Amino acid sequence: MRKPRWFAVVTLLGALSLVAAGCASDEGGGGGGGGGGEVDCNTVEFGCVTYASGEPIRVGTLLAISGDVATLGDDSLNGVKLAVDYLDGKFDATPGQLVGHDVQIDSQDDLCAKEGGQSGGTKLASDPTIAWVIGTSCSSSAFGVADKILGDKGIVLISPSNTAAGLTDPATHNPFYLRTAQNDAIQAKVVADFVFTELGFKTAATIHDESPYAAGLTSGFKTFFEQLGGTVSVEEAIQSTDPDFKPLLTSIAQTKPELIYAPDFNPACALMAKQMLDIAGLKGVKFMGSDGCAASTFFDQAGSAADGTYMSFPLPSPGGSESGLVGDYNKAYKDQFGAPTAAFNTNAFDAFNIMAEAVKKVAIEGDDGSLTIPRAALKDAVFQTKDYQGLTGTLTCISTGDCQSQAAVNIGVFLLPDLPIEGGNPDAKPIFSEQLTLTEALGT
Amino acid sequence: MATEAQGAAVGRLARFPVRRAVQWVLGIGILVGAAYAAYRTLSLGLFSAAAWRDLVVFGVAQGAIYALIALGYTMVYGILRMINFAHGEVFMWGAFVSYFVARTLQNSGFMQSSPYVAIVILLVAAIAGSIGVAVLLERVAYRPLRNAPRLVPLITAIGASLFLQNTARGFFGPQTRGYPVPDVLGGTWTILGVPILRTQAIVIVVALVVMIALTLFVSRTKTGKSIRAVAEDKDIASLMGIDVDRVVVTTFVIGGMLAGVAAVLFVMVFQVVGPFMGFVLGIKAFTAAVLGGIGSIAGAALGGLILGLLESVAPSLFLTGLHIPGPNQLKDVIAFAILVLVLIFRPGGLLGTGEAEKV
Amino acid sequence: MVVYLALVGMVETFNGINLVGGAITLGRLLLVLPPFLIGYILVRPRVKAGITVTPSPFAAVLGGAAAGLAAGVLTGICILIANALPEQLSARNVFVAVTPSLLSIMTFGRPIGIGVALLVAISAVAGGLGGGLGVAAWRVRRPVVLGLTVALLMAMLQDVFRVALAQLGLATEWLYSPTFGGLTYLGAVVAFAVPAAASAYWLSEGRTVRERLQTIPKEGQKPVRVMMIAAMAILLIALPYLLGSFLSAVLGRVGLFILMGLGLNIVVGYAGLLDLGYVAFFAVGAYTTGLLTAAANSGSSIHIGMGFFEALPIVIVVAAFTGLLIGAPVLRLRGDYLAIVTLGFGEIARVLLTSDWLSPALGGAQGLIAIPAPSFLGIDLRDPQPFYYLALGFCVVAAFVSYRLANSRVGRAWVAMREDEQIAEAMGISTVRYKLLAFATGAAVGGMSGALFAVQIGSLAPTSFNILVSIQALAIIILGGMGSIPGVIVGGLFLVGIPGFLTEFEQFQLLIYGAVLIAIMLYRPEGLIPNVRRTRELHEEEILQDAWGEGVPDARPSTISFEETPR
Repeated sequence: MRKPRWFAVVTLLGALSLVAAGCASDEGGGGGGGGGGEVDCNTVEFGCVTYASGEPIRVGTLLAISGDVATLGDDSLNGVKLAVDYLDGKFDATPGQLVGHDVQIDSQDDLCAKEGGQSGGTKLASDPTIAWVIGTSCSSSAFGVADKILGDKGIVLISPSNTAAGLTDPATHNPFYLRTAQNDAIQAKVVADFVFTELGFKTAATIHDESPYAAGLTSGFKTFFEQLGGTVSVEEAIQSTDPDFKPLLTSIAQTKPELIYAPDFNPACALMAKQMLDIAGLKGVKFMGSDGCAASTFFDQAGSAADGTYMSFPLPSPGGSESGLVGDYNKAYKDQFGAPTAAFNTNAFDAFNIMAEAVKKVAIEGDDGSLTIPRAALKDAVFQTKDYQGLTGTLTCISTGDCQSQAAVNIGVFLLPDLPIEGGNPDAKPIFSEQLTLTEALGT
Repeated sequence: MATEAQGAAVGRLARFPVRRAVQWVLGIGILVGAAYAAYRTLSLGLFSAAAWRDLVVFGVAQGAIYALIALGYTMVYGILRMINFAHGEVFMWGAFVSYFVARTLQNSGFMQSSPYVAIVILLVAAIAGSIGVAVLLERVAYRPLRNAPRLVPLITAIGASLFLQNTARGFFGPQTRGYPVPDVLGGTWTILGVPILRTQAIVIVVALVVMIALTLFVSRTKTGKSIRAVAEDKDIASLMGIDVDRVVVTTFVIGGMLAGVAAVLFVMVFQVVGPFMGFVLGIKAFTAAVLGGIGSIAGAALGGLILGLLESVAPSLFLTGLHIPGPNQLKDVIAFAILVLVLIFRPGGLLGTGEAEKV
Repeated sequence: MVVYLALVGMVETFNGINLVGGAITLGRLLLVLPPFLIGYILVRPRVKAGITVTPSPFAAVLGGAAAGLAAGVLTGICILIANALPEQLSARNVFVAVTPSLLSIMTFGRPIGIGVALLVAISAVAGGLGGGLGVAAWRVRRPVVLGLTVALLMAMLQDVFRVALAQLGLATEWLYSPTFGGLTYLGAVVAFAVPAAASAYWLSEGRTVRERLQTIPKEGQKPVRVMMIAAMAILLIALPYLLGSFLSAVLGRVGLFILMGLGLNIVVGYAGLLDLGYVAFFAVGAYTTGLLTAAANSGSSIHIGMGFFEALPIVIVVAAFTGLLIGAPVLRLRGDYLAIVTLGFGEIARVLLTSDWLSPALGGAQGLIAIPAPSFLGIDLRDPQPFYYLALGFCVVAAFVSYRLANSRVGRAWVAMREDEQIAEAMGISTVRYKLLAFATGAAVGGMSGALFAVQIGSLAPTSFNILVSIQALAIIILGGMGSIPGVIVGGLFLVGIPGFLTEFEQFQLLIYGAVLIAIMLYRPEGLIPNVRRTRELHEEEILQDAWGEGVPDARPSTISFEETPR
């Protein structure tokens, strides 16, 4: 009979090749250069990335640049572009150079979902010319996905806007992951403080949209709010594609909260704010969202319901960098890209820059103009960033990846329509703000 | 050695209707379970009567929208015996067409100055858009497959649905947009002592009117009769001199009209449009149609109503009593579970014939 | 047509892909392709009242050119209008893709009047060429089409081929330009000429070769076939090394989907049960694997910490059981009802996985993380290359099982059920048993696929298990051919592989899926590599009409080939 023979042949070959795979040499992860210099790229762990003279340094970005959340990813990407521009010390819309090489951005889409983190991350990880990656936009594409894929190859992943606490939790942190965005534990604490002490509310309800970001915030809020003595009347969840939240809101109304905290993305967040007004039982109850909600789409989709809602939003630290730089940066952003559509472009700017500093420390310049960057050393160098004056404050990176750790993160609460993004008021001032370090927030 | 008596006994045992027994046990068990859960919830006393009333109203309003879309599904199924999966997209395109008109009206101030005329214009635009897409679908995708085995047009419909959604995405961008509505629609009316949102009241009333009109149309007019004839038996109808192609197109047009109306109602209530809004709604409406008994107008209406009510009331009624966290998250589970249960007991849907349909 | 493509954004995005020589980009090609196709289709022989009508070559070229001209003029008018509209009325307000850069692409970067004229001219030429090709003798046509297709594929899959050739140590400079990433002119000519010549040779001399093959006695044929299969096997096994790690990862994903397709093929292709909720089995397999093997900090309160291969049998059993669970209530339902109910089950699965209620056990919205990579003989199977082999192994097993099932009593029972359930029952086939068997087997394979998915990344998020996965699996088997195992493989390669290799397509993936599904159903419902029996079922009407022999206007000539012997 033909079949068994065919099958046997294939199985045999398969078994042989598995053995062969074990003996096969590795796919080169780095450029394998290793010519002069103190580092032997062939033996050091994770190898190096090498650029010949004239070749640009390639930096990957893995951000949410399509779909409803493009406001978040595009905004961060613009921050990166401004950072490349500023390499020559001036915001002049012409890119500068890093250690004598141009910088080229390879932009991938994280789709604000695990799939994007996987596909974009794999693509970048398999490209041996990528020096580091700035991303992701959404915590869901990083957590357990992109951070692992890139980390396994020794590629540093630094995020401008991942805020979920789990990413830098000692139990689950990936050694090659950092972020310049604040840890959401801080934002949750500020929100809890605001609601309890500033507004004087004792009961609140939470609604998350099943994303790690929102779920992290609501559970953090619950912990801190209850520590202060408040009560969470009910914790609910929605699916972000639902249009109708009225039954849910009615059911929440029965538990008589004074405020609803819904740190979700749009359009769900906007629709909830709008539909709240139609529920008799929720008259007088306030609505609060967080930075995921505070995008220009909120104004568009919520319409007049936006007024009177509260949003928590990260602020640049007042004692932060040379105030001139902040002003110049904001002007440059406006000139080149219009009004910012999200809050994290400054974090992206800082992320690029602390990596650039680390590169300057560890890069080895060859006599022929080539550049060798050992990956493990690059990672070590950026984790040693201390007291770096960035746009978002003083950055010091700790071993679990939070670079906004020692720095007091400034979270502000705004009363809409006063929100400093497109659709709101560019000169808006927060009605409440707190500056906390991570340790202060966690109370440890 | 088997005796006669033993043989007879075995025979009786073999004829014991296992399936029916299981069905009965299952059915009673579920009813008891549901009643118990409801009892627990009500005894918790969390919800005031007003709250339940509101939930019911919300459910009815949402159900009205489901019913309108479900009608489109059911009519097409009646004459072509195929599920037009792309009907949700017919709805979505109607909404989008009216969106662009609405935007122009808003920008020119016309929307606020003469809101009623504006709404009529939007209705016309939405209906035109929906009918356009529906007719296009029929001509391009479904007509060539009239006689193909069942699976084929079904898959074509899925493909058409994907295609239409993503074309809208490509044309208009993937983001959801706010839809401008006249201010006059805000606020509530109090009907029979029950405060109802104006938009919801309008939705319910319009849906009722449309459904009654449709029923009258199908039963009284000549076209309606020819539709029913084709639904009964396509080939004999054509032998009787009915132009089947015309009738099919007319049915799609009617379905498109219904979807267009549903689109305007939807945007009035929720005030957002997006390329993917039709997809989930379409599935739900289709579920409603099947629940009520596909092929029957009353069935679609009933199914829509029940589905709307279930989604609105059931999570609170059944799940809070059992202390299940996040009950509203599970509303889809309840809806589909009910669908499965109904189909187990009545494979043709609630108003269906009670028999599994012959292929 | 061109306008449509432009509006959807394809033209602009694809302009980034250089195909040949830096001058011909995919975007530009899309501008030219529709007129070409219109010309081609217009002149194909048609059946009018039973007589095949073929236009003369001259008329064909002229007709094609005219059609191309018309298309070009239409497009040109649209461009002119779009250009002329003032800011407020700009088409951009409605169609987001109508940017100035799009317009400049469509006018080849020339000022608008000249650009439009150029476009019209090129469209006319393209149409004429299409027309000419349409009526060319098939001896000329086939090689040309083949050559063009190969050239196009090589240009689009530049990453794949370039890496592969580099791995083999071959120089690629002459073929692919290093600077702008496309075929060089020389490369393009070669890519066209070689297959074209080969095809031409085969057409003229092929018959003799085939005849000679057939005269070899049966015993002699066997080694030839075995050699061919062995060669294929070697290629499959060597593939990851040719392709490098990113592409191997893509292939791994393709393998995963092919596995799913094989499972769904059993349910839909063999047993004829339309299951739109296949993702439920996939999810069950993935989560079971996760729960059984995950480490302590996975996000779930369950940790058992088994090894992957130990857990695998349990996963398969659990998945099969789920299949039974889902199959039982739907036994009495037919066609459309079955579809919607299975769809409902898929959604139920997803919602339950995400729910807060079950989140202590299932990880809720955050999903599960810290799923360890399986290891075999010390090799970490999560690396792209070893993972590919794992997927390949699973696929082989699944394919083998499917094949044996199809050709057994079970398979024949399924065919009978598919044709007419009541008659099958009357003939003594217990539909209950066979339907459940179909669900259980399909579910088991789906579960295997889920297990692979869980370990591929090492984390699971419930958002991955949505209805689109079910639709993708369905699309794969439809495209490839229902009930045909090679079809599933081809379908998977096309629908998952090509978007995987060409990431620019990712945006348009679903759009293309939709169009492909419609096209396939309209023109070739049996799929690319059909199963003969299915083909007969699907073309029943046409067969009957042909049998009657009357020249029915508009009837398409039968497209079934009976070369493959039915088994």
